[in-house]
Amino acid sequence: MAIITISRGSYSKGKEVAERATERLGYRCISREVILEASGIYHIPEIKLVKAIHDAPSVLDRFGGGKLAYIAYYKSALARLVREDNVVYHGLAGHLLLKGVPHVLKVRIIADLADRVRDEMKRERINEQDARSMILKDDLERRKWTQSLYGADPWDSSLYDLVVHIDRFTVSNAVDFVCEAAALDQFRTTAESQQKMDDLALASQVKAALVNLSPDVAVASEYGNVLVFVKNDDRLARKVREKVKTLDSELEGVNNIEVHPGVPIPPGAV
Amino acid sequence: MPVIIISSDSYQTGREIAGSAAKALGYDTIGREILGKAADKYKLPEAKLTKALHETPSFLGMSSKLWKQYLAYVQEACLSELLRDNVVCQGLAAHLYVLGVPHVLRVRILSDVEKPVNQLVSQRGISPDKASKLLEREKQASRRWSLEAFRLDETDPSQYDLVIGLSQIDPEEAVKIIKETVGYARFRAMTYSIQCMEDLALASKVRAMLLERFPGARVSANRGTLVIETLALKREKGKKAKAIKEMAGKIPGVEYVEVHVINDFLRQAAESFR
Repeated sequence: MAIITISRGSYSKGKEVAERATERLGYRCISREVILEASGIYHIPEIKLVKAIHDAPSVLDRFGGGKLAYIAYYKSALARLVREDNVVYHGLAGHLLLKGVPHVLKVRIIADLADRVRDEMKRERINEQDARSMILKDDLERRKWTQSLYGADPWDSSLYDLVVHIDRFTVSNAVDFVCEAAALDQFRTTAESQQKMDDLALASQVKAALVNLSPDVAVASEYGNVLVFVKNDDRLARKVREKVKTLDSELEGVNNIEVHPGVPIPPGAV
Repeated sequence: MPVIIISSDSYQTGREIAGSAAKALGYDTIGREILGKAADKYKLPEAKLTKALHETPSFLGMSSKLWKQYLAYVQEACLSELLRDNVVCQGLAAHLYVLGVPHVLRVRILSDVEKPVNQLVSQRGISPDKASKLLEREKQASRRWSLEAFRLDETDPSQYDLVIGLSQIDPEEAVKIIKETVGYARFRAMTYSIQCMEDLALASKVRAMLLERFPGARVSANRGTLVIETLALKREKGKKAKAIKEMAGKIPGVEYVEVHVINDFLRQAAESFR
């Protein structure tokens, strides 16, 4: 079966599409659960996590690493939740966080600004100007967030397999598109693609465990063999090696962990 | 009956999908073949129209005036074909000027990221990195073209009803999605949407005729009534309005012409300095 990520702006009916697709396919639907999971495992207050994943990291965050650590926790929690497959995720940057996994169907639902403003006015009971500026601010924040972390624009359609302009269709039509695409052979989980998902989940967990030592740490995993890439700094490398020793027993599925200081980070690393 | 407009980041991919979709639906395709007929009608080489669909005006290349004129000819030729219905249109930038017509399904096809890179690598013997950069440059040039020609960003997904990426989805499956989508009742041509298309076609016909003499003329049509805006000096106002009315009035389907002459401040300022 498949993992479906639905990316959406606020008031784009993406949540509705995700929920109805979940119902039709008999999958699990996750969104806020990722925050709860991350908050539970890494002992962080939910509110801090929500703020960290909503606002784009500042220059200071890049040095301090606070927000980047929260994002690593979020990614780790997401990968853990979706690795069991048959899941629809609607929320933050699933298409980027789960990049490289072949059986992930990446969908974006877009809506006209005027309709989104109307919905926001109705829900928040505010005037048109306020509603518009709130939505635009939210969109901008989302854009900045994705650009600062992944160098990508969430509005770039080449990041998705399918982009549906919801104003021209009904929610039911959009659900049809999603379900039909999810049934394609390309999105069927194979042993190989599941291995990739497991490796991504493992690499994300290792990264989450090490991110406090250095926000720049990068991790790659292949068949449970984990490679950790750190800056060419002896002290940092020693610290990471010490921490890594404990991970062997803590994390499931690890065959071997190696630390490589000063080595260029490969493209697939998280 | 519906009209499907296919836009793609690769002309070849768009053409293939348009051809397959037309075959699957039993529709006709409208593509760059119509440029020959348009070139004959306006008595110019077909290559110039094709060039206008690729290039933006430049100091040593095509002038801005001619470029706009050629694009207006392409637009006119394409819109008059789209009146036929049951057609798949591709390669004529129709997604940028066929706006507000409910029975038109606008689809953007994004080619497989790796396929064109590999093609370039094998064709030109360059590195994959260089090929990616080259393709990115082409993509940016195409985006600039759409912004300059129609003030719309063709890479913006909100311009389309559906965007399908071929990195994971096969072309045959993309065609299947298009076929099913066009079957939705909302893409059935109705009196209002046919009228919208006829209005666009009439406006483009009048504009194509006027542009040579009145560059910058803007035309909109509503059930045979035309509203034409043009720039002119105060003293030329009456003369220009009369000439436009005479020219536009000769076109079949035009019932009434309203001309709005806007004061050309730039020319006025230039003249006052003489």
